[in-house]
Amino acid sequence: MPLQAPKILFALRLLMLCILLPLVAAAQTATLSGTATDAKGKPIANASVSITAAAGTESVSVNVHTDAEGNYSIPNLAQGDYSISASGEGLASKAIKVTITSVAHQTLDLLLTAELEQQKPAQELPNAPTAAPPPAPASPSLEDLGFSSQQTQGNAQLQATLEKRTRMLKIHQKLGLITTIPMVAAVITGPMAKAKGKNGEVIKEPTTANLDVHAALGGVTAALYFTSAYFAIAAPRVPDTHKHGGIRWHEALAFVHGPGMILTPISGAMAYNQENNGQKPTGFAAQHGTIAYVTAAAYGAAIVAVSWPIHWKFWEKK
Amino acid sequence: MKSRLLLAFVLLPVAVEAQADTQWLLDQSTLSYHMSHPMHQVDGVSHAAKGKGTCHAGQCSFLIAAPVKSFDSGDTNRDLHMLDATRGAQFPMVVVRTSFSEAATTAPTIDADLEIQLAGQTAHYSHVVFQRVSDGNSVRITGTIPATCSDFKIDRPSFLTVPIKNEIPVKVEMTWHKM
Repeated sequence: MPLQAPKILFALRLLMLCILLPLVAAAQTATLSGTATDAKGKPIANASVSITAAAGTESVSVNVHTDAEGNYSIPNLAQGDYSISASGEGLASKAIKVTITSVAHQTLDLLLTAELEQQKPAQELPNAPTAAPPPAPASPSLEDLGFSSQQTQGNAQLQATLEKRTRMLKIHQKLGLITTIPMVAAVITGPMAKAKGKNGEVIKEPTTANLDVHAALGGVTAALYFTSAYFAIAAPRVPDTHKHGGIRWHEALAFVHGPGMILTPISGAMAYNQENNGQKPTGFAAQHGTIAYVTAAAYGAAIVAVSWPIHWKFWEKK
Repeated sequence: MKSRLLLAFVLLPVAVEAQADTQWLLDQSTLSYHMSHPMHQVDGVSHAAKGKGTCHAGQCSFLIAAPVKSFDSGDTNRDLHMLDATRGAQFPMVVVRTSFSEAATTAPTIDADLEIQLAGQTAHYSHVVFQRVSDGNSVRITGTIPATCSDFKIDRPSFLTVPIKNEIPVKVEMTWHKM
């Protein structure tokens, strides 16, 4: 019985090897998938898709068929250059060169066209995508160019970060633009704004209604502003990025309109209370208008900075 | 003796032809894409391309590649947005392959068929014309590739909710030297 222990140990090691080997192999390979369609975008079912490793790399040739939706998937492809083509329903694609990188899942859709169309001279099919250029011998590879594997390998995590960043900044941008509407309205309806009364007379002193509308607009502005700011502040940072250009001004101006958007409602609330008590705003409350104007100006400048250089096409002469 | 000499004369050109592989190396390059928006006209420029060409048996193959993130439009925010739109983190290189006859490398214009990989997609451009100016062992190539966002299934980036134009022509200026 004691003799069985090494055997069990050996069997366990073998089992672990069997489990780990495919995992290690899978980590170094990628799956290429996509959809085969005709020129009108209709999926081609049961089309034959062939992929062959380019000359000079490990010899691989795989043939798969598309499913009912025209989808294909070729797993376990090692990194390197390949040539892929598809045919079915009397249609065929050109041979396309594709480089498999370390990204686990890569997509490449295939366009299948009639044989006659493929034989058309290329100049009848302007721009892209058109026929593949004829294969030529001894094509250099990315490694020949001297790019490091770090430069050529994809980073799915970084891509996800970029996508999240873009999503959040798009919301920031939309809310930021919407914020300008109540902000401008609040500036216009400021208590000292020279609005016209019912009979056309200039209102130089605040009325209760004017104050309430102004306060409500200020409240909406602040709510939208801070929601918009949240999306900018919480958007993920991209590592190793040296900021330059208009975005630096855009961010620097936030240090003006940010505190301004805190101080404006505080001073506004103080002024509102004093006005309602029949007093003329004094002290910090008296600065409400000035703070609001500086804040609005910095906010506008921040929008201009991130839009710079502005190039209105309709201003140009044709 | 005479027959050996004759044989040598016959075989010499074959041997020379067999050894006549030439290589081209990209010295300097400026690749710039142009992006049009109702409010903006932006050019993103990269000088980071590397390229190599090999000519064998009268046929030349060229490969040019540049990191997508090397394109600089003058604003980090815009570049990161473009990097996302072109899926530049997942597919970090823009790769251009072309091949043509060796005779074309001495003509004043080169009519090339290009295969371009970007954003995980491959697009082909036929008959893209490049101007060629020779200076000793160096050759300067200029031209424009009529690329579009849809060629690479790129969702057009938008600004102030307005998307850019589909056309993003890429201006190419390259200096090659023969090795």
